[in-house]
Amino acid sequence: MTSAIAAAAAPAAALAAPSLEARALVRDLGDEVKTRILHGIDLAIAPGEFVSVTGPSGSGKSTLLYLLGALDRPTSGDVLIEGVSTVGLDDRARGALRGERLGFVFQFHFLLPEFTALENVIIPMLRRRDIPRADARARALAVLDQLGIGELGGRRPTQLSGGQQQRVSIARAIAHGPRILLADEPTGNLDSAAGEAVLGIFETLVRDRGMTIVMVTHEPSYARRAQREIRLRDGRIVEIATGAPATVTTR
Amino acid sequence: MRATLFIAGRQLWHRKLLNGIAVLGVMLGVLTLIAITGIMRGFQTKFLDTILQISPHVVVFDKTLGDTTPIVDQLLGGPSATAIVRQTSTDRQQRIARPTETVRAMRALEGVAAVAPLVVGSAVASAGSKETPVELRGIDPEVQDVVTPLRSMVVDGQLGGLTGAVDGAMIGHQLADLLGVKVGDNLSCASALGDRVVLRVVAIFETGVAALDKGRIYVATRRAQTILGRGDAIDRIELRLVDPDHAPAVTAQLEALFHYDAESWQETNASMLGVFDQQNMITGLIIGAVLLVGGFGILSIQIMIVLEKRRDIALLKSVGYGSRDVLAIFLTEGAVIAVLGAALGAAAGHFVLAGMRLLKSASGMGYSKPSTFAIYERPIVYVLAFGFAVGVGLLASLVPAWRASRVEPVDVLRGT
Ligand SMILES: Nc1ncnc2c1ncn2[C@@H]1O[C@H](COP(=O)(O)OP(=O)(O)OP(=O)(O)O)[C@@H](O)[C@H]1O
Ligand SMILES: [Mg+2]
Repeated sequence: MTSAIAAAAAPAAALAAPSLEARALVRDLGDEVKTRILHGIDLAIAPGEFVSVTGPSGSGKSTLLYLLGALDRPTSGDVLIEGVSTVGLDDRARGALRGERLGFVFQFHFLLPEFTALENVIIPMLRRRDIPRADARARALAVLDQLGIGELGGRRPTQLSGGQQQRVSIARAIAHGPRILLADEPTGNLDSAAGEAVLGIFETLVRDRGMTIVMVTHEPSYARRAQREIRLRDGRIVEIATGAPATVTTR
Repeated sequence: MRATLFIAGRQLWHRKLLNGIAVLGVMLGVLTLIAITGIMRGFQTKFLDTILQISPHVVVFDKTLGDTTPIVDQLLGGPSATAIVRQTSTDRQQRIARPTETVRAMRALEGVAAVAPLVVGSAVASAGSKETPVELRGIDPEVQDVVTPLRSMVVDGQLGGLTGAVDGAMIGHQLADLLGVKVGDNLSCASALGDRVVLRVVAIFETGVAALDKGRIYVATRRAQTILGRGDAIDRIELRLVDPDHAPAVTAQLEALFHYDAESWQETNASMLGVFDQQNMITGLIIGAVLLVGGFGILSIQIMIVLEKRRDIALLKSVGYGSRDVLAIFLTEGAVIAVLGAALGAAAGHFVLAGMRLLKSASGMGYSKPSTFAIYERPIVYVLAFGFAVGVGLLASLVPAWRASRVEPVDVLRGT
């Protein structure tokens, strides 16, 4: 379902397997009375693609994002992350997959209060045997620099503004070098200037690093800046709009 | 591993106050264990040591058990005259038959270090106008000294004087004060059945046990027999064993072989040993309770921390940490609290015991003479205390750590 226009924005990626793929994804929630939250979602997101997910509150956006990020298990259907099927993986394997291939940004920063900004960025890398500690530190410093908060690495989360906190959490999500970033309302708690900064960072990541980004947002102007906008209602995809600036210029 | 330690260490440090309280709880538990054990055990050990030093390990009395033939008769072949006399005796006074052979046979038994026959009876000692009831003991000083070390308790005069040319007597120092006599003075001693005999004080002893120091006189065996009117009878045999712990077994063996009533030092001091058992039980309960309180301290504090940290746990899991990593982090925190508390408690316990050692006990426990506190301090107590504390700490953090490891990131994410 990847459009030719999106493919033009990332020509090499279009030929490869999808970064993320949802197959007949169904999710029921509720303890006694089960409610169907997602009704069979089919979706493929190409490498290097920037996708936004919109829809009314309660339409299932977060639920979909958690499933795509292997944080949650579908009632039925499958999620493939860079071609790896997650349906048969146990918790440990799914955790490892998240730790290696995915980065998450949430509405709240989820920074650990006991650690400095720099340490917060390092912590996800600490559990990986393939990244030496010195490497982890160097990468974290580089990413913080890149996001314009290099001089704030020694501060505790409480000593940072909301926008700075969110930038640290983006740094944490990308420092270990995943190719996929999943963001659930990353600008939801920020003022327009800080929100704009986050969007700018996302666009840079897509453009310069070829990252795949899926961003849930309530802000129509941000949603339109993605290459595709997936609109949900009551657990179904009702519309896929293409309208990223890149597309416009290509047209 | 590095991540576990890094995160656990920082989280502990971040909540210094709460975790410090938990450490304090464990520390108090360990301190209590070491201090109470040191004092109670110290007192008991000292008490038992004193008993074992001044009393025989086994005493054989002149009271026969049943009417089967004793081993001495068997060895000598056929019932002896004494045995027949005893069977038909109307003699009010029991006696130990064939003392020489019996003592020799006992000496040959395995585990017996020394055997001393003696005569024991009540008498009245007097000097000048003063008079007091005493327990008279007729002994062979050299043999008796091996069974119940007498020489070491002599504070004045010579033990050997008992068997000297004069009729010597060794008396307790309080008795000497009571009668107003010193070494070289005379006193007289008499009983209902025997003759009055004038004795020369040749030695004065001090055991530290008031009852003995105030009321006991040692004389040579023959002299005691004369005073008590016993002829040449022996009415008690005392034994010293190689290992005092074997006393009950040796006692049973003696009774089976010789058919005389025998009593181990454990039986003699049964009521005191029973009191010790009860003391130890109460101490154990107190220590257990204090450690349990320490454990509950860790438990409640950790449960609180885990509840508060659900978001952080969710984040760690979403970036790849597994349930085991989370479990390890919180178990590590519990273990660090326990080990730290145990180490501090052990150090504090050591200081408290060192301090106690310097103090004079005020009362001397009412039984033996005033002295310094006896303290029981062995590595094994520290090892046990440490093991208990760490065990309790780990056990207490098991539930919170397990709950932490079960946190599902989506549950937390949906909740925010
Ligand atoms: N634990 C749960 N049990 C039952 N229903 C749930 C549970 N969690 C969420 N839901 C329901 O699932 C639906 C989708 O929730 P989801 O959080 O995915 O919506 P959303 O599109 O992200 O909404 P928002 O824009 O408010 O974040 C909602 O109707 C919600 O009430
Ligand atoms: Mg949502």
